[in-house]
Amino acid sequence: MSREKAEALARRGTVLTAVALLALAGVYLRALLFTPIERFQGPAQKIFYVHAPAAWSGLLAFAVTGLLSVLYLWLRDRKVDLVAAASAEVGLAFSVIMLTTGPIWAKPIWGTWWTWDARLTSTLFIFLLFVGYQVLRGAIADPETRARFSAVIGVLGLVLVPFIHMTVYLFRTLHPDPVVMKPGAPSLPGEMQVTLFTSLGVFTLLYLGFLAQRYALAVLRDLKDEEAGRAVS
Amino acid sequence: MPPAEPVLAAREVTRRFGHRRVLAGVSLELRPGDALLLVGPNGAGKTTLLRVLAGLLRAQGGRIERRGDVGMVSHSSMLYDALTARENLRFFARLHGGSSRQRVASLLEQMGLAGRADERVSTFSRGMTQRLAIARALLSDPEILLLDEPLTGLDDASSEQVLGVLGELRARGRALLIASHQLAELMGVVTAVGFLTQGELRAVEPIAGRDLGAITARYREVTGRG
Amino acid sequence: MGDGLRAAWAIAGKDLAIEWRTKTALVSSVAFAVLVLAVLYFARDPTAVGAVDVAPGALWVTFTFAAMIGLNRAFLLERENRALDGILLAPVSPRAVFFGKLAANLVFVGTVELVSLPLFVLFYDVPIVRGLPALLGVTAMATVAFVAVGTLLSSMVVRTRFAELMLPLLLLPFLVPPVVGAVQATARILAERPLSEVQGWLKLLAAFDIVFVTISTLLFEATLEE
Repeated sequence: MSREKAEALARRGTVLTAVALLALAGVYLRALLFTPIERFQGPAQKIFYVHAPAAWSGLLAFAVTGLLSVLYLWLRDRKVDLVAAASAEVGLAFSVIMLTTGPIWAKPIWGTWWTWDARLTSTLFIFLLFVGYQVLRGAIADPETRARFSAVIGVLGLVLVPFIHMTVYLFRTLHPDPVVMKPGAPSLPGEMQVTLFTSLGVFTLLYLGFLAQRYALAVLRDLKDEEAGRAVS
Repeated sequence: MPPAEPVLAAREVTRRFGHRRVLAGVSLELRPGDALLLVGPNGAGKTTLLRVLAGLLRAQGGRIERRGDVGMVSHSSMLYDALTARENLRFFARLHGGSSRQRVASLLEQMGLAGRADERVSTFSRGMTQRLAIARALLSDPEILLLDEPLTGLDDASSEQVLGVLGELRARGRALLIASHQLAELMGVVTAVGFLTQGELRAVEPIAGRDLGAITARYREVTGRG
Repeated sequence: MGDGLRAAWAIAGKDLAIEWRTKTALVSSVAFAVLVLAVLYFARDPTAVGAVDVAPGALWVTFTFAAMIGLNRAFLLERENRALDGILLAPVSPRAVFFGKLAANLVFVGTVELVSLPLFVLFYDVPIVRGLPALLGVTAMATVAFVAVGTLLSSMVVRTRFAELMLPLLLLPFLVPPVVGAVQATARILAERPLSEVQGWLKLLAAFDIVFVTISTLLFEATLEE
């Protein structure tokens, strides 16, 4: 990708992110002022409109990284690696948001900061896999080796998460928790559904915006390195 | 009589590490009985070229054709210090599809290691390790032998022995490619000299009839340095 | 196919011969296992929690942590003198190399497990005799799972500076399904419940084994230098 194209992509990404953030502010307003308060959970439930979509974005990022990892191993195209890595970084950020908003929501609702249900546990491990991915990348100097090794982890992680989900599910069905709870997306009445789905859409846009910016940044850095390399030799 | 088919041919081979271009379109051919000496300054890409020719690194551009096995002797011995000389050779022999004790024994003999065959490689001197590494490279009787600085760190006796082996291999129709800065010592064994600098093979000149001074002068001319 | 198997066998044999000669990793792993078992025994309120209740968890934490100590040695020993290059120069498929390393790792970890098991029975006073075959079966299935992924990961991680730290960091998420399954199954076995109760877990273990041994075999080639 040429410098002009990368800068154009970065600009477009920034615009997209700005739009998404504005939309996000709109969603908050709607959630706080115009969406009814949930009967059982109270105002605290509203953080759900951030938490669930953040989890969705994290999961999306994870899937993208995983699938691009497979693609990289097949095509060995450097750009594929850069997008996968960008997605992993963005996904890491969303995972952090998800893991911090989750307990904040859970405490007033369930009475506990954390619980080991299939969904939460899977998302925790997605976070940990993202961390591992970044650490591995940071530990390898050669770009081609880095891309290959990251892709290996990406593929392994993608295959692992369903197993973790299954494991925890089995664990819980055999060890039902005494506390009655309804984790995850409950059946919501109309108003709330609209807010939720809008939020999901906004977070997806946010993911794409961040991804575009991060990828463009990676390409620009790459170009700079290439020029530096050429200057020396 | 027409020249034999090349056993090793490289065409426009390129290789990068990150953004650094290490090999920039190298082409060469080796025929049976050829012994090419590659000289060049540090960082010219000699080791990388050898690894690519051996198949340990992928050529990112260009092609490599091999007609026959490749044996390699490099900076690192590729041996297991905790095993004895004989065990090392037996292991690698098994990987090449034969567990011939005869072959292992005769190679040890040929490289003058028969007396220390059952001692661990960790006790070996640099000269002995190098000779064992050569024995390992010769296990499959390869048509092509690549050597990276084979004489470095060897005393005179070991050097002589190695040069003898190389000469013999050449006489038997094996193709040799030797990367080394020890032009003087190797001139008697090689048939041509190639000048590698900044990833480019600038020239390949036959040795025949020229002395060290002439070759060195040509080297300076081609690479622009002393 | 026969060639590949022979090569894998040779590689595994060589690894184990070298390990046997030094025995360092083996002794360290076993000592570590004993320590972990002992510490976990005391890491509870004995009036509230019986030894037999923590036993399955203690056993599997011990097995996996002791295994992680030993997993890196398989590829570290190849880096010493770049011996892996010697292996790759021979007509050996990456698949064969992986199976050879996997087999050696399985023997290593299996040995640590077999040595720790009697100590486990001793420390935790668990009734093991009747369930022994089932326990060994579950142990084998779970061990194959994490050793397969561990072998793949260690081939990448040994090239980084903090290999000892990176391997657990990357491997631990992959321990969750097999270890949870193994602990659940072990608990049932020690409680002398019928095996039908753990069918779900056994299926999970089997599925994990099949999927991850296959994937690890396929991905291994990408971890070799190119």
